[in-house]
Amino acid sequence: MAKDTPPDPSALFREWVTQWERNFDSLANQFMGTEGFSQAMNEFQKSQLNAQRMFAETMTQILTNLNMPTRDDVLRLSEAVAVLDRRLERIEESLGDGPAGQPSPIKRPPRTKQPPGQRKEAAAAPTPGNGKKKGAQKKSKEKKDE
Amino acid sequence: MSESSPLDSNVLETMQTFVQRTIARGRRSIELANAPPQPVGLTPKDVLYTRGTLRLYHYHPIADEVYRVPVLLVMATTNKAFVFDLAPGQSMVEYLLKQGFDVYVVDWDPPTQEERGLTLADYTQDFIPTCIDRIAADSGEPEVSVIGYCMGGILSLIYGATHTDGPLKNLVCLTTPFNMHGMGLTQTWNDPRYFDVDKLVDTLGVVPAEAVTQMFEMQRPAQRMAGQLRLWDQMFDDEFVKSYRAFQRWGDETLPLAGEYMRETTKELSWGNKLYTGELVVGGREAKVANLTVPLLSIVAEHDHLAPRDSTKALLDKVGSTDKEEILLKGGHVSLIAGPNAVRRMWPALDAWLSVRST
Repeated sequence: MAKDTPPDPSALFREWVTQWERNFDSLANQFMGTEGFSQAMNEFQKSQLNAQRMFAETMTQILTNLNMPTRDDVLRLSEAVAVLDRRLERIEESLGDGPAGQPSPIKRPPRTKQPPGQRKEAAAAPTPGNGKKKGAQKKSKEKKDE
Repeated sequence: MSESSPLDSNVLETMQTFVQRTIARGRRSIELANAPPQPVGLTPKDVLYTRGTLRLYHYHPIADEVYRVPVLLVMATTNKAFVFDLAPGQSMVEYLLKQGFDVYVVDWDPPTQEERGLTLADYTQDFIPTCIDRIAADSGEPEVSVIGYCMGGILSLIYGATHTDGPLKNLVCLTTPFNMHGMGLTQTWNDPRYFDVDKLVDTLGVVPAEAVTQMFEMQRPAQRMAGQLRLWDQMFDDEFVKSYRAFQRWGDETLPLAGEYMRETTKELSWGNKLYTGELVVGGREAKVANLTVPLLSIVAEHDHLAPRDSTKALLDKVGSTDKEEILLKGGHVSLIAGPNAVRRMWPALDAWLSVRST
């Protein structure tokens, strides 16, 4: 009997999690959606960026004094390698030897498929396309009970 | 001694199950902690083209015959495209292949520091057109349908609006925040009075993935914790665990953003809302969506917190297409495209709309 069935702890737990998540997010969004929060968050970010920039400058100075490559040096090298990589790719492609761009050995089915239910009519009926169909604007919404 | 009542035995049984499950949960959670990452993106594919951050995949057709017009899925630059192909049975790519579409996907690798200068023009006037050229060469078909997800939808819209005489046959925008001034919290946090995008980009070059993830997660701060609690609760359901881990992996593998792209999207799209107002110019070309005349489908989610309804609803009114439709479905930003809701709702709706326009 329904009255004798004790509540399922898992179901209660799931319900509680959903409710907690909804309430917490709602409360947090109210707080985080304020101008004050935006200002504080962005000020904090600026101070982090300032600290990061100072650290980067100091490191650059130290590496330069030690006669070692800095981050910018490594980046320049990386850019040069990337340019070479692209050139090599183009050469490989022009030779038909690249990892990408090769004709794939997979099967190529014919491009003859027609939408279900329209196979017979397809040849006769015009396909909607390129803005030629008039009055086709439509907005739909899923039924609520789905 | 009195006999135990049915209620007592039910309570006892419930308690026993609860204790057994709690012990088993502990054991399973240890297994999961040591498990390798959930495999994703398993549908067979070829890498058709790569260049820097860009990757173009072609998925192996499954059907005996395919629609004439191939389909190109364009992922947002902040995320990996494997959300389109999470797992067998939960893969939008697999579904489209089974329905008879020839599927190509634009995916992104993390942009490197030498790619920090990538702009909207690179993505919409170079990467996407190059991919479409490659698809034409590979498939032998001059036309292509493009499906863009989230900011991938924005890139697809810009591409379409700047290539009105091009090979675009149909355009589908999934949860695309076309009106950026309707983006709620993101818009508040990007307030130009406080958010110094120049300082961010000039300092970092490439905006780290952590910053992008933080921006997403801050909008639903309880989501991660609630997700973990749900995982704990449903630790016995293998399908749930697999699905949770795949989604978790996708969320954790958020991509960094090229700095100049971030600067431009912030100033032109977020602050200026220029795609919405029709003032956007990309690579010297006017990107007016009013010039778009191809059939357009916009699929949006009712409970989307990243692309809220205010940001998605104006698209149909602004495009020049006469064959256009919006479908509003239950669900959120991610559940619209992947997971059980997508299987039941979005994929069939997409197939129904696109199939009759792909011959």
